[in-house]
Amino acid sequence: MEPLKIVGNREIRVDGMAKVTGKAIYPQDIFLENALYGYTVRSTKVHAKIEVDIKKAEEIEGVVKILTHKDVTGMNAHGVLFKDQEVFCSQKVRRIGDPIAFVIAKSQKVAKEASKMVEIKYTELPAVFDPVEAMKEDAPIIHDTTNIRYYYKCRKGNVEEAFKKCDVIVEREYKTSMVEHAFLQTESGVSYVDKEGVINVCAATQYPHFDQLEVAEGLGVNKEQVRIINPAVGGAFGGREDITLQIHLALGAYLLKKPIRMTYSREESFYAHAKRHPIVMKYKTGADKNGKLIAMEATLIGDTGAYASWAINVMRKAGVHATGPYEIQNVAIDSYSVYTNNPYCGAMRGFGATQVPVASEQQMDIIAEKLGISPIEIRLRNCFKVGSKTATGQLLNESVPLKKCIEEVQNKLF
Amino acid sequence: MKKRGKGIGATFYGTGYGNGFPDVSKAVVEIDKDGKVSIYSCATEVGQGAKTIMMQIAGEVLGLGVNDINFISEDTSLTQDSGTAAASRQTYNTGNAIKLAAESMKNKLLNLAKDYLKLNATLGLEMEDHKIYLKMEPEKCVYFNQLVEKENIKVSESFTAQSTQMDEETGQGSPYWPYTFNCYGVEVEVDTETGIVEVIKGVCAQDVGRAINPELVEGQIDGGFAMGLGYAIMEDLNCVNGKIHNNKFSKYLIPTALDMIDLQKIIVEDPESTAPFGAKGIGEPVMTAVTPAILNAVYDAIGVRFYEIPITPDKVLKAINDSLREGE
Repeated sequence: MEPLKIVGNREIRVDGMAKVTGKAIYPQDIFLENALYGYTVRSTKVHAKIEVDIKKAEEIEGVVKILTHKDVTGMNAHGVLFKDQEVFCSQKVRRIGDPIAFVIAKSQKVAKEASKMVEIKYTELPAVFDPVEAMKEDAPIIHDTTNIRYYYKCRKGNVEEAFKKCDVIVEREYKTSMVEHAFLQTESGVSYVDKEGVINVCAATQYPHFDQLEVAEGLGVNKEQVRIINPAVGGAFGGREDITLQIHLALGAYLLKKPIRMTYSREESFYAHAKRHPIVMKYKTGADKNGKLIAMEATLIGDTGAYASWAINVMRKAGVHATGPYEIQNVAIDSYSVYTNNPYCGAMRGFGATQVPVASEQQMDIIAEKLGISPIEIRLRNCFKVGSKTATGQLLNESVPLKKCIEEVQNKLF
Repeated sequence: MKKRGKGIGATFYGTGYGNGFPDVSKAVVEIDKDGKVSIYSCATEVGQGAKTIMMQIAGEVLGLGVNDINFISEDTSLTQDSGTAAASRQTYNTGNAIKLAAESMKNKLLNLAKDYLKLNATLGLEMEDHKIYLKMEPEKCVYFNQLVEKENIKVSESFTAQSTQMDEETGQGSPYWPYTFNCYGVEVEVDTETGIVEVIKGVCAQDVGRAINPELVEGQIDGGFAMGLGYAIMEDLNCVNGKIHNNKFSKYLIPTALDMIDLQKIIVEDPESTAPFGAKGIGEPVMTAVTPAILNAVYDAIGVRFYEIPITPDKVLKAINDSLREGE
């Protein structure tokens, strides 16, 4: 490798000092004069038609304005891939936690109190929570047509023929859980309109320019009229990719011409952002007597909950990585993302590629045990190297030090 | 009784948006009249170390230290789009964009220096500490601020990653690039009376292409390991019929420092030619091998395989009791 001066050094992180001394500014640290406080009214039902009455809440002393879908000046929709989430639910809710209204008041206390006075009449609809059930034709439909939001299909070689040649075949079903990013800083932000008329939203995000676009769409203004300021971010892990409070804050400031601030409680944060997709994974893996993998079949059913978020990309990534880092000549993978009335799922560290190894790596050990070879050995016999092709036929033409990684663990652990 | 076992997990992870979707990062490098260098790029620092990594990449090209550069990444009105801080893509994508912009700036400055110093070529010019000098005659030297006239010098570059769209019928194609590889191994101790699983040893061999900052790589490995540990044995939303019952940290357990062990971290370097100085993304790969390694180790310890996660103590205990009953 070429000799370098700074790359490769253990430089102290440039943002470190401010963070450990408490000087770094997080959204919750920003105080604006005369700022109003926002509080989100959320669905308590999993699937229901709604009618919203804000009259009583509006009359409460200190309430400035209560926003509902009727107040959305632009598109009442957002979403990283499909605009299937509403800024405020207009006709129905699809999960617990769906935003229905936004109370803007002179204090946090009043905003929260008034939110309890927003009357929501729910007419409950049949709901579905199991993604396998949700795929059936007679399942309650959560969006417009089918609950199957995405299907990825991978075919390589001839799986049926290949299984006939296997000395050992292992068939198992695995399930991963829905989990939470649990970043330390809950969603928080301030918004205001500056002297130039630009709507400023200051909130922690992973992708400021995309938030700018979605806020502009929600307000029905040009992108240039929206400025996203992204102060210190208290952890993200994928949980700050979808819009949470940004459009609500922007819309309030835009309509009232007054600064607004808000911070979610931990409990609210659990419902506000996406979760990790739980995936049901049916695997069938076959090898010859030397432990060489010959065929693999996998069906992956990912529960994306009430909204798509990154479901397509997550289940695509799960499908592409389903074999694990091994050469297998015959592969059939079917990967689905399915709507249910669960909390919605989206990006989280590993993004589909974290779930599938729970299955594929246990399959490896089960096969190894049946053949009487070690977990290290079966991996060394099958692992990707330079020149290998993945299940999607992609040539790995350089930088594939997997064998080295396995040998390092072999030497240090066993 | 406490039973010990060892297990491993090997995984790979493809970087980027993928499947042929344009994955673009932009960066601007600017030098003002005082010779101060600023970089404008909207790569979010989410704690992964983006700011430091980007400064090391730019600093390497421009002969500067990480604190000599002003990095502006927090305002859409000042920066161009550098995509999301996700898909383990910032080091690779925005790192490449910043490297290109810094190289373009370096080229521009060397040519200005050549004219300023009345040289025939830029050959043999060295850049260090805000100055450019001729290696064979170090007295021939000019500072950045002497090269900036009326207007700030500004260059802009962008980087687009390569991936192809997969065929709809066969799923064949090149959806991601580059791929990062790893193998993690753990030793666990399972208390057969309480069902508590404790990880007592961890060895993490992580491909990084090339480590821009080994300290930050190790920090990511610690963080990813903790997250994988929580995923395997603790984290449970208890979501029943769409309702999350564990919606606070008193019920939703995540690992703390007390649950973490001193990991043996092995950084495996094998530079990737399309990456900035060979560096691949590692933000997500550091998590993917942890959970299966723990599950395999638990099997090695107690002979029970778990097909569902998390394996909380109640589930481990039940499985042990069930297996004992089967054995009778």
